[in-house]
Amino acid sequence: MTPTKTLRRATTGLLAAAAMTVAGAAQADYPERPVEMTILFGGTANSIAQLLTDLMSQEMDQPVVPVSRTGGGGAVGYSYVVNTPADGYNIVWNSNSINTGNHMGRIDFNYESFAPIARVSTEIPALAVNAETGWEDLDDMVSAVQESGDMLRVGISGRGSFTHLTSAALFDALGIGDQVAYIAYGDGRAPVELLAGRIDAAIQWPGQFASYAEAGDLNVLAVTGDTRVNVLPDVATAMEQGYDVNISMWRGLAAPAGTPDDVVAALQAAAEAAVMSDTFQEASDNIGFTPAFLPSDEFGALIAEDDAFYGALLNDLGMAQ
Amino acid sequence: MDIFLEALSTAMTPMAIASIGLGALIGLIFGSIPGLTFTVALALALPISFSMDAVPAIGLLLGTYIGGMTGGSVSAILLGIPGTPSAAATVLDGHPMTKQGNASIALGTAVITSVFGGIFSLVVMIVSVDLVSRVAISFGPAEIFALVLFGLSTICGLCGGSLIKGLISGALGLMIMTIGIDTIDGVQRMTFGSVNMLQGVNLLVAMIGLFAVPFIIEAFAVKSSTPEKSQRISRVKAELPSLRMLSKNLWLMIKCSVMGTGIGAIPGTGGAIASFLAYDHAKRFSKKPESFGKGNVEGVVAPETANNAVTGGTLIPLLSLGIPGDPATAIVLAGLMIHGITPGPALFMNHAGEVYSMYVSVVLAYLWVLGLQLMGIRLFVHVLKIPRELLAVGVLVLCAIGAYSIRNSVFDIYAMGAIGVMAYGLVSFRVPITPIILGMVLGPTLENEFRTAMMLSAGDPAIFYTSPTALIFFTLALLVIGLQALSELKARKPIKKEVEVSDA
Repeated sequence: MTPTKTLRRATTGLLAAAAMTVAGAAQADYPERPVEMTILFGGTANSIAQLLTDLMSQEMDQPVVPVSRTGGGGAVGYSYVVNTPADGYNIVWNSNSINTGNHMGRIDFNYESFAPIARVSTEIPALAVNAETGWEDLDDMVSAVQESGDMLRVGISGRGSFTHLTSAALFDALGIGDQVAYIAYGDGRAPVELLAGRIDAAIQWPGQFASYAEAGDLNVLAVTGDTRVNVLPDVATAMEQGYDVNISMWRGLAAPAGTPDDVVAALQAAAEAAVMSDTFQEASDNIGFTPAFLPSDEFGALIAEDDAFYGALLNDLGMAQ
Repeated sequence: MDIFLEALSTAMTPMAIASIGLGALIGLIFGSIPGLTFTVALALALPISFSMDAVPAIGLLLGTYIGGMTGGSVSAILLGIPGTPSAAATVLDGHPMTKQGNASIALGTAVITSVFGGIFSLVVMIVSVDLVSRVAISFGPAEIFALVLFGLSTICGLCGGSLIKGLISGALGLMIMTIGIDTIDGVQRMTFGSVNMLQGVNLLVAMIGLFAVPFIIEAFAVKSSTPEKSQRISRVKAELPSLRMLSKNLWLMIKCSVMGTGIGAIPGTGGAIASFLAYDHAKRFSKKPESFGKGNVEGVVAPETANNAVTGGTLIPLLSLGIPGDPATAIVLAGLMIHGITPGPALFMNHAGEVYSMYVSVVLAYLWVLGLQLMGIRLFVHVLKIPRELLAVGVLVLCAIGAYSIRNSVFDIYAMGAIGVMAYGLVSFRVPITPIILGMVLGPTLENEFRTAMMLSAGDPAIFYTSPTALIFFTLALLVIGLQALSELKARKPIKKEVEVSDA
């Protein structure tokens, strides 16, 4: 441990101790000052978080301020929040990345270092292929791949990314896991590559495919969650098509472990009101996510369940640290 | 036509015009102040746009984007510190022009050519969005790799005296960008177990460090003699570039606009590569290539036309494919999505009205920028009257704030300082700084596209030499490198002879 780190730990500890005494005296009045919400990613995650903080601020006596701490696949933001005092003034806009980040060795603590507040939204990935293949559903694709014996080129964002993990789980369930060659792009360019025919299939967010599906350039074969998505109402889930896959990306709120229960409850109530508001429901279709409120305890159970799932999956892929 | 008229009326409401103007002003301020970047300005404008109607909201974001892109040249010219990576090429000749007392001409040229490039690219976009996006799709990893390699070859033209020193500098840039999580394989590189190193070195933070820190150190290290100082002040005047000069460079502007639009249309490239290629092109085909780097106005015209032509270019993949070209357009994309405008092929069917009003907004944004900046020049040049030491203190504070605000990370302030001190060291050994920026901008793309291409071909390098597009760019890159090496050899020969003679 470097001297600066020791110093910082020590200062944090002192601050935490000081804050706890203050918090112990006046917890009932929470919040007395603005609450800082750390955002780990740009794009959709950022858009939802901006909206959520705006709506939560209307529910609480103090504003909720979004602060973007991106980088390291979420590691930077989680590390920041986990070292803040457990008084409810620092919360994190988290996601499955808490599970994968730990299992891939990016952070040296796991989901148990955080107290779950509420799940807010889910995003359900979709699998698309170029319309010229003529494949309309998963069975078409599976039989074509098995007949030809060729490798299926599947575009992903990067190894260990959510699109990779979802693809791995889906193709294993389809029974063609050993006939897949992953092409990593390092970003979300997969839809265009699919259109150009350089890859055969790709898993991305439905919003990225919707416009192409409408224009008839791409066929969306399935979504990988347990419900259909609003932007592509005609696309059946993998489960409906007889394959046992249920993966979706959840996002929610968490605070450092040890945050008092009544503070968590206050934040949970604000989050619930924000999620149920008309503004949030309306925006969900535009941005491409599903509002999916879950209270603290159920959210905690979900995270624990997911942790085992992603741990095993990353182990199979040889990426667990 | 009806749709267009309707769009015109929605885009021309006082609210929409005002929000475009506000955006242009915010972008201009953030772009022109060293340290503050227009990506941060966009991130600030995004939540404001949520509560607005669709058209003014998009106007606000587009105004900020365009204002920032144009404003980046102001500090590049006045202080030698680029406000955006794509203005880094403008420093090369813009800043020497300031030293010669021609700051206002350089600034005026920059804004006028920027507007020319921007409007030109918009027209190209409107006329050929379908065609260009189809061509852009044909650019796969192998083709983008070849294009980026060609862009990297312009390092040759930026080396000044020594090709070796330029290459050292470029390689440093490439190396810095390998720090952090590798996006392709998801593994950590050069992080030494530190969470802060996981996030890697941010391009904007590095840019601030590379250009601003040497400026600050020099201000205190070099004792400015009194006569020089008074000279500086007496030379500050607000003079605009003459029409004759602009019309003389019209052909160069058109060529650079085409270049910028084309490069902007290819996802994964962006403003910096366009401005450097344009600069290199202008220098190579100039009648007086030796005057480049010493305050040749063509060295301002070329990169500024090209980097604003990129704005229209990037709208092509953004609107027709839903692919943002850089972090700034990614924020514009978020603004579009939240108002229910999902880019992609169906956009032009479902939201033709909004698309047309976006076109009008872009034109309005450029008009605002032109007006604001031409008026601002009178104000900007007064910055030069501030004593260098005081200015340096101000720049230092702004840069620290700017570096922090990009990712709200204290680590980035340290990173800025460390890179800056390294840059000062390099400058004192006469190693050029600009190739580092070029290496940093293009490095990740170069590496990722190469690896993705090799995955696509299952490890067969034939993917690079079987694509005609890639071959063209490889040939161009070879040509640039070959010509440079040849001229270096020619320059060296006489010296060698002398040595031989003296030996004998």
